[in-house]
Amino acid sequence: MWLFLGMTFSLGILIPGKLCSDLQYDGDQVLHIVPETFQQVQHLQHLCSTLMLDLWKPQLLEDIRAGEDLHIRVPAPLVQEVKDSLDQHMISYKVLINDVQELVDESVLKERSQRQVPEGYNYTEYHPMEEIYEWMTQIEKNSELVTQHYLGNTVENRTIYYLQISQPSNKPKKIIWMDCGIHAREWIAPAFCQWFVKEILQNYESDATIRRFLQNLDLYVLPVINVDGYIYSWEAERLWRKNRAPYMNGTCYGTDLNRNFNSSWGSVGVSFNCTSEVFCGSGPESEPETRAVVQLIEQKKSDILCYLTVHSYGQYILTPYGSTTTPPSNNEELMQVAQKAAAALMGKYGTSYKVGSTSLILYSNSGSSRDWAHMIGIPFSYTFELRDNGTYGFVLPPDQIQPTCEETMLAVTTIIDYVDQKYFPGGAVMLTSGSLSLCLSVVFTWIAS
Amino acid sequence: MQGLGASLPVLLLLLLLLSAQLPPPAVGDQPPRALGAERSLDPSSRLAVGAARVALHKYNFQAASPSGLRALGQVRKATVKSIPGMGQKYYLQFTTEDYRSRENAGSCLATVLYPKKKSPPAVNIKCINTKDQKQIQEEDNRLYQKLKRQTKPIIGSNIPDIFGNMEPAFEPVWALAVAGSSYMMWEKSTEKVGYFMSQVKSVKQWMRKDDSLEFDYTILLHEMPTQEMILCHMRLIWLPGRHLKVKYTCESDSHRLEDGSGMESGSAAGITHEREENF
Repeated sequence: MWLFLGMTFSLGILIPGKLCSDLQYDGDQVLHIVPETFQQVQHLQHLCSTLMLDLWKPQLLEDIRAGEDLHIRVPAPLVQEVKDSLDQHMISYKVLINDVQELVDESVLKERSQRQVPEGYNYTEYHPMEEIYEWMTQIEKNSELVTQHYLGNTVENRTIYYLQISQPSNKPKKIIWMDCGIHAREWIAPAFCQWFVKEILQNYESDATIRRFLQNLDLYVLPVINVDGYIYSWEAERLWRKNRAPYMNGTCYGTDLNRNFNSSWGSVGVSFNCTSEVFCGSGPESEPETRAVVQLIEQKKSDILCYLTVHSYGQYILTPYGSTTTPPSNNEELMQVAQKAAAALMGKYGTSYKVGSTSLILYSNSGSSRDWAHMIGIPFSYTFELRDNGTYGFVLPPDQIQPTCEETMLAVTTIIDYVDQKYFPGGAVMLTSGSLSLCLSVVFTWIAS
Repeated sequence: MQGLGASLPVLLLLLLLLSAQLPPPAVGDQPPRALGAERSLDPSSRLAVGAARVALHKYNFQAASPSGLRALGQVRKATVKSIPGMGQKYYLQFTTEDYRSRENAGSCLATVLYPKKKSPPAVNIKCINTKDQKQIQEEDNRLYQKLKRQTKPIIGSNIPDIFGNMEPAFEPVWALAVAGSSYMMWEKSTEKVGYFMSQVKSVKQWMRKDDSLEFDYTILLHEMPTQEMILCHMRLIWLPGRHLKVKYTCESDSHRLEDGSGMESGSAAGITHEREENF
């Protein structure tokens, strides 16, 4: 334990001094020696000072003693020479670290990935809105990739935020949009949005696919659109669906936000009666939550390649449209990619998802956000309906959060990867030198804390 | 019932019998329907999937086995035929999963007739068992014994709770609710409207002098495509291997969907329905 602390302490001292440059310690070894006699001590002191070897333990030459641990870092070109000298003087040694660079890389990645996300946040349980607000603040604080943005306000005047995940670069990026929680009772959806962010931040350096698409794409993630409804489902009625807009002098509440968009609004699969779960509102975009989403997406629509909206339940990847059975212009491609995504998802735990247009395999509905997104020109627009297939429905047990999120992650990254390869073809994956530069003072403070 | 060796010839006989009843699949697109013409459906289409679910509701009720509940896997084949004077008849082949574990439970062949007038769909369904029927019976008996052992009436609410957690002690009570609810969902289903059981809002046991178990339930059903939550009261009496009796009323406003096809939802409030499965 102390050995490890000492090593990482030393790494921490080492690296800032080397100005975070690449591949500095490739092949360097750390040797562990316990000098047995005073002569051996003298020889070692001579060796270290002549060759200017890096003393890890103890810190100073004069503190080297017989019977006590000595750790020295030997630069790669000198390793053989030093070992020969030790052999000549019958000084036994052990190789403590075979390749310093490897160890440093490992610990940097691990440390950075843990620091990106708030420590102790449990992604395998459902969180109330207060905790999700907290989480967004923390994520932004901890990660250089994430910024939190104001989207708009809800009916009850609560703030709607989205997170932007963006790899800093000079390149202009295109956008992938994903929102969760249009319907309050579909708790697994916001859980997935949070999981998604966490996965990206933990793996963007180690996962080649993520690394590649983050060079070209910014990810906009909206963990909970229907904030009022979500809170209401926690505090009052678990199976609430709509927002909390009052109608009929406050005798009736809620518009189905996914019937409120301006995509053949009010034409099919809706009710004009506020008491219905699919009440489409007093007009297209009558709800502030809808308008908040619309104004941002409108503003950025020429850069948005992909619109994903996450719901539950039923296990579907749905393509446009709900308001008509006439297929979208890029139907074949949409279906192909969705099938690829469903196959990737199934590979994880065998969960089978159905793929097809909403109007053909689910039901007819107008005013959905997904239809609207495609109609204004966003080519890859999908609705996800997550687990399960009806056994628990909306009230999905928390022990299914992790497997659901893991498998869905595969589907979503398949889609993003396809979009990335399509619009940014060719180009080798660039190893970011940043990942190799060592700012281990951070490691050091983490160890020390 | 029978071991693996005996089930194979039965399976073959079953398939033979049922394939004789199934019409040959239609080839290609049908022109606008002539009377009695039948067409094949995309197995993933909502009408096909909906019909398969209805068939399974009836199966789950008739089997009267909380340990043998099935959920829909995939529809493999579906055709529909217009029966003049009667209604739309669906012919289906689909796979099923265990309701809880999602393990493959075997495939089924079914016909579902949605009558023109408002009455429950007529269902014929035969399923293959991948699980040993004897084992299922034993599980039912174990479940029954566990519940019978209670000296005080079982009372509970919100099963599962808002987080999706279910106390192990209430799992049998929940499974029984699914079996009983299947009757309600079968009866209420139409070609365009389907159901899932969402939650047991409350359950109360009535202690009986005889061997049967009796429960009073309040159940929330999720209705599609209206997305409504329908509250139903259900009285259930069960004796494993003998009978499952269900009496129910559901409350709901009648919501019309704005749709040329005239979709409707729910059942009128206050009508009592009663059904008994005897063996």
